[in-house]
Amino acid sequence: MTLRIGFVGAGNMAATHAAGWQAAGDRVTFVLGTGSRRADQFAADFGAAVAEDFATLLDQVDVVDICSPTDTHLAYIEQAAAVGVPIVCEKPLGRNGDEAIRAAAVCTSTGTPLLVAHVLRFFPEYAAARERVVAGDLGHVATMRLDRSTYLPMGDGSWFSNHERSGGVVLDLMIHDIDYARWVAGDVVRVFAKRAQPEGSGGHVLATLRHSNGALTHVQGSWAFPAGSFRTSLEIAGSDGLLTLHASEPFSSITQQHDDVADVPQPPNTVAESPYVTQLRHFSQVLHGQAESIVSPLDAAAAVGVCDAIEKSIATGHAVRLGGDV
Amino acid sequence: MRAGIFGVGHVHSESYVSNLRSSPGVELVGVSESDPAMLAEWTARHDAVGFASDADLIAAGVDFGIVCSPTNAHLNSVELMASSGVHVLCEKPLATNAADAQTIVDTCTAAGVKLMTAFPMRFSPSLATGAEWIKEGRVGEVLAITGTNRGHLPTGYAPWFADPELAGGGAVMDHTVHLADVMRWWLDNEPDEVYAETSKILHPEVAVETGGLVTLGFSGGVFATIDCSWSRPDNYPTWGGLEIEVVGTDGVFTVDAFAQRFDLWSKGSTSWVDWGSDTNQLMIDHFVGAVRGDHALAVTGRDGLRATEVALAAYRSAESGQPVVV
Repeated sequence: MTLRIGFVGAGNMAATHAAGWQAAGDRVTFVLGTGSRRADQFAADFGAAVAEDFATLLDQVDVVDICSPTDTHLAYIEQAAAVGVPIVCEKPLGRNGDEAIRAAAVCTSTGTPLLVAHVLRFFPEYAAARERVVAGDLGHVATMRLDRSTYLPMGDGSWFSNHERSGGVVLDLMIHDIDYARWVAGDVVRVFAKRAQPEGSGGHVLATLRHSNGALTHVQGSWAFPAGSFRTSLEIAGSDGLLTLHASEPFSSITQQHDDVADVPQPPNTVAESPYVTQLRHFSQVLHGQAESIVSPLDAAAAVGVCDAIEKSIATGHAVRLGGDV
Repeated sequence: MRAGIFGVGHVHSESYVSNLRSSPGVELVGVSESDPAMLAEWTARHDAVGFASDADLIAAGVDFGIVCSPTNAHLNSVELMASSGVHVLCEKPLATNAADAQTIVDTCTAAGVKLMTAFPMRFSPSLATGAEWIKEGRVGEVLAITGTNRGHLPTGYAPWFADPELAGGGAVMDHTVHLADVMRWWLDNEPDEVYAETSKILHPEVAVETGGLVTLGFSGGVFATIDCSWSRPDNYPTWGGLEIEVVGTDGVFTVDAFAQRFDLWSKGSTSWVDWGSDTNQLMIDHFVGAVRGDHALAVTGRDGLRATEVALAAYRSAESGQPVVV
């Protein structure tokens, strides 16, 4: 059965998800919009209709895909869960840990499927690196280094720069690697972090995570890199081995940058299937009962909780304990 | 100028011997070592004259010496050398505790002998370029620095590196000081806060910590992290490496201090072969020039003391789970 997908949000991530659903064989049928030009354009691009209110949209779709600004996620999730419409939600699940837990809880209590788009789990290099850990090639994970450094999203995506709405570089960007770190090394029990926030930049954060098994993760998240740049790196060191992912991508370029910096940072695609498509294909399979989700709502909420702890550490200057023994 | 090597316990004595022999105007008088078997083996391999004690080596007449004994033995050698007017180039870290490190500095000052800490990275041309870039503001105002100085488990070179008594600790003591020194040098500033997480997951057979992530806070708000882990597996192509990256308001630069290498595939094996400048040679030549009166020391005993204090603060932080003020 082809799923009918309704969208909340019509920006960059919505378009990425919509393309993913279509590649998975599902249909984008509605987008929530109240006269916004972006929603009209999105509807035209994906052959969808514009729904004037959320309840109407929920009545006519099999899945709702929430790609709206972060601070609106919980309200949409609560409405969708109340009528049992399965939910795909762009990360982060909520604006703070409390919201994220409430979002996860309402879906659990109503039996509503909730799939949070932690797309890094679908990037082939990150997935394959974790497979080496699971296979035991590295022994016990001891130190991990994760880096995601780019520039502040601009243009229509400018709500990213509004900390109240997006949660800033920690909640919007670092959360990718925080979720990955938890996926590889388990629960985080203590964090320490510092942020530089120069005028006009999105902030630069270094965080140390201590996991319950004693593994340590160093995470760099930056929206303070030069415009146009996007860099990620991954290294996992364990008691029996070391895995490093080099920056030597199969495609690299050096170009003059004039005014052609993309509003929202995106690395060049170098794999046959975009990880965003892989992710939506997986979610589609989950919703068709053909697969178990590899991203649980509790994991998504826990990642937001770690982000809260990082913010608290930055604000207080102290190391911050999460649940569990250090 | 007559030179001696005081102790052969440190693996660097292996390279210093040829550096001394290559240094213009320097004559290697011999080496002292209290362990007769080590002394016999070392002197035979390097065709050098051996002395059973530091006093015997000093009595043979030396102008300066390089202290290469296990860390907790530095102080004894330095006191003897200083009282005889012998200039001191001391392996890092200066000592296993702050009191000994302070005494080393004070003793040399009182005796009027030169004291330099063996920080060869001060003489890396690429790191010197980094210092220039910061001074010239080529990346704007510095926001944050990340450094990694990872290596093999060094007990393969000498077991004392993992002896808490002789070395004063493990990976933190071994691999924090080089980067702490580079950061102090580059920023022309002292860290005022140290946070550290450590682990014993790698090489659980040794008594000391083998993994560590250290965060430094500097006055003015710049912060930095140091990964000091012994996380390079035994079959890693070389002993380890040192990399450092500076993020500023106007850009980013990275130095990989050991990137000047060939990948060599030869006769069935693969290896990395360094072709870059020999920083040990540059360091020793600089020290010799300073003893001759050609120039002031670029790096002093006080620099070694400060770096040692950072490592010691890291242990206090790891113990308490909170940042400590230095």
